[in-house]
Amino acid sequence: MAIALAGILCVTTGFLVVALGLAPPSSRSTLLLRISLSAGFGLAVFSMTYFLARWSGFLHLWTIDGAVCAILLVALLSLRKHHASAVPDLKAPAQATSKCLLVAFGFALLAALYSGVLRALARPYGSGWDSFAIWNLHARFLFRSGIYWRDGFSPLIPWSHPDYPLLLPAALAHFWTVMGRETTAVPTTIGLIFTFITVGLLFSGLDILVSRTSALLGAMCLLSTPFFIDLGTWQYADVPLSFFILATLVLLHLHDGFAIRGIESRSPLALAGLAAGFAAWTKNEGVLFLLAILLARMWLTSRQSSPLRRPISQIAPMLLAVAPIFALIAFFKRAIAPPGDLFSDPATMLHKLGDLSRYGAVLKWYGRELVRFGDWWLIPLPIVMLVLYFLMRSNIGGREKETVRASAAALILTLAGYFFIYLITPRDIYWHLRFSLNRLFLHLWPSAIFLFFVALGSKPFANRVGDPEPSAP
Amino acid sequence: MLSCKPCLWILVVACLLSSGRMLVNSRWTGEDAAENQPRSGQRFAGLREALPQRGVIGYIGQSQDSVGHYYLAQYALAPLVVDFSPNHPMVVGNFPTTPPQNLPTNLKLLRDFGNGVLLLTNEDAK
Repeated sequence: MAIALAGILCVTTGFLVVALGLAPPSSRSTLLLRISLSAGFGLAVFSMTYFLARWSGFLHLWTIDGAVCAILLVALLSLRKHHASAVPDLKAPAQATSKCLLVAFGFALLAALYSGVLRALARPYGSGWDSFAIWNLHARFLFRSGIYWRDGFSPLIPWSHPDYPLLLPAALAHFWTVMGRETTAVPTTIGLIFTFITVGLLFSGLDILVSRTSALLGAMCLLSTPFFIDLGTWQYADVPLSFFILATLVLLHLHDGFAIRGIESRSPLALAGLAAGFAAWTKNEGVLFLLAILLARMWLTSRQSSPLRRPISQIAPMLLAVAPIFALIAFFKRAIAPPGDLFSDPATMLHKLGDLSRYGAVLKWYGRELVRFGDWWLIPLPIVMLVLYFLMRSNIGGREKETVRASAAALILTLAGYFFIYLITPRDIYWHLRFSLNRLFLHLWPSAIFLFFVALGSKPFANRVGDPEPSAP
Repeated sequence: MLSCKPCLWILVVACLLSSGRMLVNSRWTGEDAAENQPRSGQRFAGLREALPQRGVIGYIGQSQDSVGHYYLAQYALAPLVVDFSPNHPMVVGNFPTTPPQNLPTNLKLLRDFGNGVLLLTNEDAK
């Protein structure tokens, strides 16, 4: 009963946050977009309120959760008329969908659901080492330690990475605390939720921005990535991070899509800033993405600036939304967590940067993992998509192209950041690459699929798998 | 520009191949039970009852390469901090597969909880 109530409160909180930025849904796709964002944002807010409650010592979570909901509701009622923007369908009109494609999508969805749920039930304690050595261990410390919760960030257990952000552990501890006990049902369910809301977000984002066919194909690409479905059940923070990275891009593309059609609203920018901040609160790699997306957007807005659309007016809503989350992360890193191990020895770091063989090793692994990180059978999807990208003609406009370029630049910058981290890693470079590179690629995979279909636009899929040709805009 | 239709169907077929294999490979295996058992922390249930609610305890395991067993011990015993060192007044002995041999002479057995879980005391660390 408590878990159901907490779940409702969590989604309601996320729903209210999203409602501050997006007006009530006008179609099934916008409803799916809203639901997907609400679940992810709700869990993120739950984790932050738990952390603040633990820190302040005021652990009356029902009161806090109720108060957060009430504040958001008041804010929504007073601000919505001014700030929330409706989500119109920006896709090309009058498109039918091939029945074959629908059947194929249905098969991929059922296979992923069956596989994911079975795997999650079979491994209630998660898979791989990081679930128990990092994420669930931190959650246990937060939940079990009471007022001594800082014990979990002891430098005596550096292998548990006490400097890792707390979105996942604090969200787990929040649910356990309101339930009054630990249960594996919570991490199992949260893992599955993040996996399938990422699919829902990808589908709805593409359906709103491009076409139903692109949405079906895009969601199918993700559902048919066995390692994504598998990792979603491992109880790691990688899939939640991929969700928040995708959410940032979808919201930015929605904003730019509105702007191209003359609808100027900054609330999707603020929501995108929140999503990027939540990414940084999920994993350290999220901080890298946050910096990359801010840089890329600054580049984009400086190219598109006009008296009406000054760069600062485009970046400020994102920065304002990110600021409190960034302050929380900075507080956690400075006041609670011991320093991480990556930048602990600048001299060795510089020496490693000068070692060309390390560059070769990382490049080789990047090339190798590109075709196998998803654990696909026979045909690696990134290769198919790369080939398709060069074979197909895109019908998107110049400004849409610029948005895609900025988002792609953010992903490439993030990948470059990962590359740099491998160069300076204090651990054995091959060990580090072997046990993490596939997960790092997966962080960006849902966003890469999204950008691929947005970059192609709706035209390549019209009359190809059963669609009529879209009418010219 | 080549026709896109075959390319798109290649994408669909590529997806279906992986989905199909995912479906075929999804089954309950004995491996799952073997993974779940150590993570459940059942081996350490008795020891947890005997230890204080918080603090730092030492650790000694069967060999340096069994770091996974140490991580699992920390996971089971949280919120106690388990330091990978026997230089503490109280030390957890964790020998899941082999019986303890050649324990340091300063470690004395306080209690054997079975299944290779021991509670030891380090006389030098008091």
